[in-house]
Amino acid sequence: MKRLPLFGLFALAMIIMIGCGGSNPPPPIEEPPPPVVTPDPEPEPEPEPPVEEPPAPQLQESQFRTVYFDFDKFNLRADARTALDVNYELMNEFPDVIVQIEGHCDERGTVEYNLSLGEKRARAAMDYLVERGIAGNRITVISYGKERPADPRSNEEAWSKNRRAEFRIISQ
Amino acid sequence: MKSIARYTIAILVFLMSGSAAAQFDDAGVRNIFFDTIRAGDVQPITVGVDDMRYTGVFGVSAQDSTYMRWVTDMVRWDVDFYADFDLIPIDSFYLRTYEITELDLLAWSRLGADYTVRLECEFQGPRMLITWRIFQTMGRNEIGSGKLSDNRTFWRQLAHSIADDIVRSLTGDRGIFRTKIVYSRQLSPTNKELFVSDFDGANERQLTDNGSINISPAFAPNSPEVYFTSYLDGDPNLYRINIQTGRQSKVASYPGIVAAPAISPDGKRIACVLTIDGNSEIYLIDLNGSVIQRLTRTRRAIESSPTWSPDGEQIAFVSDRTGSPQIYIMNDDGLDARRLTFEGGYNDSPVWSLRGDRITFVSRTRSGRFDLASINTDGTDYRVLTQVGQNENPHFAPDGKHIIFRSTRLSGGDIYTMDVTGRNQRRITRTGDAGSPTWGPYPD
Repeated sequence: MKRLPLFGLFALAMIIMIGCGGSNPPPPIEEPPPPVVTPDPEPEPEPEPPVEEPPAPQLQESQFRTVYFDFDKFNLRADARTALDVNYELMNEFPDVIVQIEGHCDERGTVEYNLSLGEKRARAAMDYLVERGIAGNRITVISYGKERPADPRSNEEAWSKNRRAEFRIISQ
Repeated sequence: MKSIARYTIAILVFLMSGSAAAQFDDAGVRNIFFDTIRAGDVQPITVGVDDMRYTGVFGVSAQDSTYMRWVTDMVRWDVDFYADFDLIPIDSFYLRTYEITELDLLAWSRLGADYTVRLECEFQGPRMLITWRIFQTMGRNEIGSGKLSDNRTFWRQLAHSIADDIVRSLTGDRGIFRTKIVYSRQLSPTNKELFVSDFDGANERQLTDNGSINISPAFAPNSPEVYFTSYLDGDPNLYRINIQTGRQSKVASYPGIVAAPAISPDGKRIACVLTIDGNSEIYLIDLNGSVIQRLTRTRRAIESSPTWSPDGEQIAFVSDRTGSPQIYIMNDDGLDARRLTFEGGYNDSPVWSLRGDRITFVSRTRSGRFDLASINTDGTDYRVLTQVGQNENPHFAPDGKHIIFRSTRLSGGDIYTMDVTGRNQRRITRTGDAGSPTWGPYPD
């Protein structure tokens, strides 16, 4: 709730920028691949000090890479495939893990269209993994449309982080 | 609903008082055909509303005088709101220079009012009794009158009922001043609930309270039932809730999404988006959620946001089958789909006008902004209706003359209204967290 005034300021700033721009072309939509924010690239389970019976290494959700998309697109960019290849290796390494892939969108466009778009993004990620050999029954998808932004701001930096497919561990 | 019961009582009181209902005088009523196409080409009817006069026997208390002012101001606000009307503001100073003690029609005519509304009030116990009269200012003839009463506490509803009568008297149409609207509000980053309020944002109350995400409310025609998508079971499924009783039930649950419900004009079918066959397609389902028919068949494209033609024979929807979202029209059996929009790279969220002649939708304009636009159903006469902020989610009022929508122009998101022509844009909510507005039917 506290963010909202800030939100308004951003919106206002955007309006003013657009207003001053006159007939300038709209700001570019297709951004270069954004930096992958999720850290921990190494699928290394944290080494527990060996106790009596060493627990099985657990996969952490944060080890999964988030997959990013272009505006109004659900095709997989090169960086998206790289991220999915990491996730593929993880799912191979932990064969009991069942995941849900969440599809998300940026705030532009309507609630309903984005719900469909988010579903397409989650399914694109799922299809890629299934094509590489992960069993389909280990993956479910859900779309949150534009309802759960990772970054609530209204600018391209935020939007590029919000157009994403996130991996959630359902069970392992 | 209590207020409806009260209104019924008010009508009964009014009938028993022996007065006729609003009198119609054909010679005095200016019938205008409100053209949804030519914005601004139709001259609005100019209406002045005089200060309410006290006609009781005893002196009026300061508190009652305040009620009189509130009702007067509310009637003026409603007249100003109405698409066919232009409110002529009262100019007391000007009227006083004419040394006017009575409502002087000549003075109002000089201020530019085609019609003048005169309000008289007296009090009986807790009740406020109001007589309204409408005069054709130039001809000086009374063209309609009526009496209404209600408890002082319900002065807003009383004022809205007077405004409804004024609309009926001057246009022959039903007013929308006692209608409700439903919209969502973001209560936390993970919680969006539905709210209901009067059309002007007053008397807001929370409708859903399930802690999840609730979106895309859509009224069934002439019904207090609202269909909406909710994540309350984790997945986005379809529910309905009665805005009067609060009774809620699950309508449809399928793997993937159940989204963008639109109820057919006969109230028997729901057009919505399902992804059960692996792709986002439009389906017809019945009121129990069973699939009647799949309407669209594309391998990869997104189909979404169906809206019914008023005769229930066609459905407009959005599809990105050409690579960008555009609006199409098909028959209600899914055949004969044709593309409607070609302007701009992103057209979405269509709603069919109640006259059937226009479709209003969201269009990404050259500025990069999302604006509301409107187009003939034959694809001609594309018009942009908004000029500021991001605008989305248009829905028609039951009179087809007003549109409700969401805009971010002054906040993170609020509900606004406007005439179908884009004129008269007004902010309705002020919380900055509102979206997905939809306009309810006429009250019973």
